[in-house]
Amino acid sequence: MTDHSGKSGLAKRTDKHSASLLSLGLTLALALLLSACASAPTPPAPVEDRTEVEREIREPAEDDSEGVQVFPLQNPAVKTLLAQAGEAETSGNYDEASVLLERALRIQPHDPELLQQMAEVQVRKRDYQQALNFAVRSYDAGPRVGEICARNWRTIGLAREHLGDADGAREAESRVGQCMNTRPQRY
Amino acid sequence: MVKKRSKKKTGTTRKAAPRKTAKRKTAGRRKSKARRSAAKPSRFARLFRLALLVFGAALGLLVPWTIYLDHEVRSEFEGRKWDLPSRVYARPLEFFSGLALTPEMLRVELAAAGYKESASPNRPGQFSANGGRFEIYKRAFRFPEGEEPEQRLAVSISGGRVASISTRGGQSLALARLDPAEIASIYPLLREDRTLVRLEDVPPLLVTGLQAVEDRNFKHHHGVDPRGIARAMMANLKAGQAVQGGSTLTQQLVKNYFLNSERTLVRKVNEALMAVILEWRYDKSAILEAYINEVFLGQQGATAIHGFARASRFYFDQPLDRLEAGEIALLIGMVKGPSYYNPRRHPERARQRRDAVLAMMAETGILTEAQANEAASRSLGVVDAPSAFGQKYAAFIQLVRRQLAREFAEDDLKTEGLRIFTTLAPSEQTAAQDAVSQGLRSLAQAGLPASLEGAMVVADVSSGEVRAVVGGRNPGSGGFNRALDARRQVGSVIKPLVYLLALEHQGEYSLVTKIDDEPITLRQPNGQEWSPSNYDETSHGEVTLLEALINSYNQATVRLGLEVGVTQLLHRIEQLGVDADIMPVPSVFLGAAELTPMQVAQLYQPLAAEGYAVPLRAVIAVETPGGESLTRYPLRLMPQDRRDAIAVLNYALTRVVSDGTARALPGLIGGQEGVAGKTGTTNDRRDSWFVGYTRNRLAVAWVGEDDNSPAGVTGSNAAMRLWARLFSRIPVEPVETRMPDGAYWGWVDGETGALSDKQCNGAVQMPFVAGSEPAYQSSCLAAMTNTDKEDDDRSFWKKWFGKKN
Repeated sequence: MTDHSGKSGLAKRTDKHSASLLSLGLTLALALLLSACASAPTPPAPVEDRTEVEREIREPAEDDSEGVQVFPLQNPAVKTLLAQAGEAETSGNYDEASVLLERALRIQPHDPELLQQMAEVQVRKRDYQQALNFAVRSYDAGPRVGEICARNWRTIGLAREHLGDADGAREAESRVGQCMNTRPQRY
Repeated sequence: MVKKRSKKKTGTTRKAAPRKTAKRKTAGRRKSKARRSAAKPSRFARLFRLALLVFGAALGLLVPWTIYLDHEVRSEFEGRKWDLPSRVYARPLEFFSGLALTPEMLRVELAAAGYKESASPNRPGQFSANGGRFEIYKRAFRFPEGEEPEQRLAVSISGGRVASISTRGGQSLALARLDPAEIASIYPLLREDRTLVRLEDVPPLLVTGLQAVEDRNFKHHHGVDPRGIARAMMANLKAGQAVQGGSTLTQQLVKNYFLNSERTLVRKVNEALMAVILEWRYDKSAILEAYINEVFLGQQGATAIHGFARASRFYFDQPLDRLEAGEIALLIGMVKGPSYYNPRRHPERARQRRDAVLAMMAETGILTEAQANEAASRSLGVVDAPSAFGQKYAAFIQLVRRQLAREFAEDDLKTEGLRIFTTLAPSEQTAAQDAVSQGLRSLAQAGLPASLEGAMVVADVSSGEVRAVVGGRNPGSGGFNRALDARRQVGSVIKPLVYLLALEHQGEYSLVTKIDDEPITLRQPNGQEWSPSNYDETSHGEVTLLEALINSYNQATVRLGLEVGVTQLLHRIEQLGVDADIMPVPSVFLGAAELTPMQVAQLYQPLAAEGYAVPLRAVIAVETPGGESLTRYPLRLMPQDRRDAIAVLNYALTRVVSDGTARALPGLIGGQEGVAGKTGTTNDRRDSWFVGYTRNRLAVAWVGEDDNSPAGVTGSNAAMRLWARLFSRIPVEPVETRMPDGAYWGWVDGETGALSDKQCNGAVQMPFVAGSEPAYQSSCLAAMTNTDKEDDDRSFWKKWFGKKN
């Protein structure tokens, strides 16, 4: 890379070499400069926060629902992408996880599991507004009972709390309990 | 984001380096020469002095001349090379079992991505088709998420859906995606159209083939090739005419810089000198790269076609890296005489030349004998219309530019060689353009003006990704892009929002609430009186909201509008993501508001997506040529507060299609059900609109005259026909009928609108925002509740779950 400056200038060959590398180097330099200005990827969350999704959403939701799962059949393509997104999420690549989930959502835009997964990735990225929005959509599109329902409302509650909506968070908490109550709410 | 600074900086480094070293070198050379001459013995002093004099004089002339030439050739070389166009990609086609796809659509997708049909695909970029069974040898491609290798796929389609995907070995695959079509290059606005490539993106066969045909000694010579000249002279002597030129690629490059057919000796000497200078200053690969981007390969009207990449577009409508061996051979062969071997005008000559090049490739071992023969057996593969590239997608590309303009300087898009990943679906763009072009022709045959224009926007409902943009009956970049820029009155297309506002008035309005469709007179802000009439010039008396909406009654809508308020309506339009400058006057209730088809699509996206608004997007990601992500436009949801009212409205809009002003539609799309939509017609029949959506596709169609003159069009006689042409080719997924929290399906008496029960005669299902249901019960329901009190709970259950949504 030092050749780029032309300072080494040892012999004609080196010069020619540097001239040719110029075309490549230019591209590389450009890439570096451009990337320097590009929006920085989401920094990985600190270790203690990584479990927020497990601690606040997944584990309690499993308890809430006594493991009752009401899932629609999933397309194998969606399953594959969901699994890949799960791996990316586990290794802390939240941007990659959301790209994969988005790709899966293009295939099945109303899949409640995908939408909830996306909500949880948003929690990890600390984008609580989007976490809230995806969880709500998952609930609307989903079975509105069972484990996923509990995850929906736990995510909604958590997001509202982070967004400073204490009343909303409390309401969400009460809705978690109704996920096992198959009787619909009266209005 | 991408800054000018970077360009300037790289520019100076690039230029400074050779200049500095060049000076040093010239000085060094002179010194060593002087030393050598001084060391010579003085025995032939006089002779030597004479020689020195001649040498000095020559040097005195040659040095400034060389410096001059050096300056000339360098400014050409460095001034032209570096502006890399941005490459724009369509969305990649993702195969999964269940994907709605017909063999015809797949063929369009494959053609757009430059795939060639072949009896037995044995190279990336080829496919074979047998009915619904496709074998595709997909190319490797670097997606923003990473590289995907080449792969041989078998895809079978039946009943309009992908049934299975597998590897060639028969292993079933859950999903696979094609490399995307390249739909545009955004390149610098030079006099000539250019599509520049970097050497590393040039197919190796072109690089080696070019040398085999034009300059076999390229790697070793210093700009001129005495051996090559000798060989050419021999060949010419043997043939008795000039059959071979001895110019090196470097000399040809110089010749291309100073295009001049003059064949004087001075010219030749200058060319040779400049070639030597170029070789001295620059690396072989830089020279080759410049050559590949510079060489003259044809003429399009007044525009010269320079460079292989541009020529690849011009002759084959494909990027250079997707050409087959025969196509590469043809382009190489054309270097010798682009007009003499013009494949469009002289196909036979061109074919012979191509085959000669293929033979040379085989002879030098670049291709095997079999490969060369196979390539020679193919047709030339030249497309008819040279302007096709960029034209087909021009209207969409304008949208891409606008979305990017918010973040990038125009210059950067043109010079940084960015990779832009968009949402366009080539098959849907083609289908939408056909729907508009053919639809307008057929309207003219049916007696409507032949001068009618049209536009269309197609988007994916949930993601807001724009799949197609049609700017007019003729695709092309020159024309007016009506989809983005035609601001036209929307007419009844706006009415659903008036009803949405009413449904949001909790407890006051439901679809069965009665309103008056009676004459009404209002005083406009300008003092004039305004008395809207209905389309059929009749007032219909007391009607339900549902009836008024699906039949598009004007008088009822204005009355309802006055209840909900015009400012609220304008506010709601803003909330739905459309920033339009609309006068707050009552005639807005009937669509006295000018919007573009794109804005109408944005207005309806939240309705189609069950209340989850997203901004319509044409670009997903932008990255540098090296694959660094610059920006991404991820999916971001903006839920509307009143999704309950939106769900109820959606049902009403499906009734527009089944029983209302758009009731002719199901017959036009093969009886498919579950479409929601709204027609729109403006005063004096100037504009025809149709907005329609299924669960996954939203499309807006507009038809009218460019000069806004009365055109005899209505929503259902024109725009809806165009819309139907598109959707008769796309399988419909019925819109969602399940109600969200806050809304539910109830039963009402079909005659009286009174609350009823499933078991009652004449009861019909109706969605309600909770709390808005009628307060009065049908006699049947009243009897049931009285006699069956303890069963109340069960009947409640039925109301909720007893019906299939």
